Formats: sequence, C-alpha cells, structure tokens
Amino acid sequence: MTGLDSWLRQATRGLSKDSSAQVRTEIHEHYESAREAAINNGAAAQEADRSALAALGDAATANRQYRRVLLTSSEARMLREGNWEAQAVCSRSLVKWLLAAVPVAALWAAAALYLAGEGLIARVVVAGAVMMGLLFTAPYLPVYTTSRSRVFRGVKWVAMMCALVLAFGPDALKYFWLLTACVWQFAWVEWTRNSIRRKLPVSRWPRQLYL
Amino acid sequence: MNFKGTLPTLILEALVREPSHGYRIAQQIKERSQGVLDFKEGTLYPALHKLENDGLVESYEGVEKGRPRRYYRITKAGRGALTRDRAEWRELSRAVTTILGEA
Repeated sequence: MTGLDSWLRQATRGLSKDSSAQVRTEIHEHYESAREAAINNGAAAQEADRSALAALGDAATANRQYRRVLLTSSEARMLREGNWEAQAVCSRSLVKWLLAAVPVAALWAAAALYLAGEGLIARVVVAGAVMMGLLFTAPYLPVYTTSRSRVFRGVKWVAMMCALVLAFGPDALKYFWLLTACVWQFAWVEWTRNSIRRKLPVSRWPRQLYL
Repeated sequence: MNFKGTLPTLILEALVREPSHGYRIAQQIKERSQGVLDFKEGTLYPALHKLENDGLVESYEGVEKGRPRRYYRITKAGRGALTRDRAEWRELSRAVTTILGEA
C-alpha cells in the first residue's frame, strides 16, 4: 500500500461510498499535480511523492473536516431508507385514507372517554391522536420549501412535547426518563437530518428532509 | 502562519478572476501571499465543499492537459459574500493595526 492509499483510507473513514469516491478522485488529481510540479522542479520521483504527500497534511484532520461537509455512511443510509413518514403512510390510497382516519377516530374516542368520566385515558388517547396525526399527515402538507419546512419542524416538536405533557399530566417531570425514552429516537433522526440539511444543497433535498 | 477561518474568503478571492481547480487555487493562495500563508492542502477540499454546500461556489467537470479535473467557479452569492468578507477584514485589520500601533 502506498503512502497516498494509506492517507486516503484514513481521510475517508466513515464517509459514504459516494463521498469517499469523490474524495479519492479529488485528492488523486491534486496529488498527481503536486507530484508533477515537484518533478518539473527537478525533484526525484521518490522525493516528489514524499513532498506531495506531506503537502496534504494530517489525514485525521482532513477526515474530521470532510465529515463535517460530506455525507457519512450512516447519513447516506438514512437518506436511502429514512423516509419513514411516507413509508408509514402506505402508497395505496385506501390504506392512506384509513390511516388518516385513525387520528380523527382517536379524537372521537377521546371525547367519548372524557364524557364517560375516563379523563386520564382520554388524555393519553388525545396525545396519541396528535402524534399519529403528525406522522400520517406530514407527507401531504404543503411544507416543501425551506422556510415552511422550518416552521413545520418547529410546530412538530412543540406539538410532540405538548402531547407528551398532556399524556403524563402533572407527573410529566416525574416521568422525565420515560419521556426521554419516547423522544430520543425522533431527536436522533432530527439531529441526523439537520446534519444532512447542512451538507446537501436545497436543490438536492429529498422530500423527507423537509419534514 | 495560522489563518484559520479565512481560508474560505481566500478561496473566493482566488476564484473571482476565473474558475479554477483545487491544486491551482492552493498554489495561487501560496504564491500571492509570497509563501506566508502556507496551509495543508488536504484541508482545502473540505472548505471548497462547504462553500459549494452554501451555494457560494459551484463545480463542474473540465479537462486540463488531457486529464479530467473538477473546476470551481464563484456564484453571484459567492461574490456578495466576498464583498462582505473584504469589508469586514478591512475593518478588523484597521482596528488591530490601530491597537498594535499604540503599543
């Protein structure tokens, strides 16, 4: 393995396949130019290799910087497989409408439970209806511009927190650990999507990045 | 010399005259600063990608001496950012010069 191969292996660690290929191409081009320039200036081939590699600097530092601007393998996987809002709402229209009816039915059920004196259960059902409503209707909302998407994401998180507080009532703080367990996965998805949003130009955003 | 944080501005400045590829940008910065601004070239491309993600530069495939190369050119937003950066730098430089001149 040459010095450049070893440098590239370290610099591309954790990057997605496409990002990794991009880095390899651009660094190869750069290295070849630097090497050629050194040879034209009278350096021997071995010395030219050494100086071209030294000019690239520390591979670990480059890797840290690349990971901030290019997609990592886990982010690329999320982009491929992470459209779970749309996947949750099946593409068949009958199922789609049935799923959309679930939050509405849940709200009706909550009203009936409340009238029957089951306030606690009614609160939990309302919270569930809000969460399901967010999940099932999100792909159909007109949120596919950056500003609308930002507003939607803010509203989504406020609604989610309100739903959880509503479900747990005055004990919400006491059950903080349970609330955390409920939202950590959503939070992780949101965190990763934010990272992807910073790395991809808006013109290349897939639909799930708006949600 | 440590010029952390100013590399994106220097890249935009290098691209304002004509589109260029990574190696030439790096050499241009070093030559125009007469070797004072020396940096590790492996950090140039992450900075270029960041500028591209922010819409300040755009890239396209080109050929130089029969070899395919990725060229970068500054966008309209990039020119605006460069104008702002230049103004900020002049202000900062004037302030630091004033303080150091008092010493």
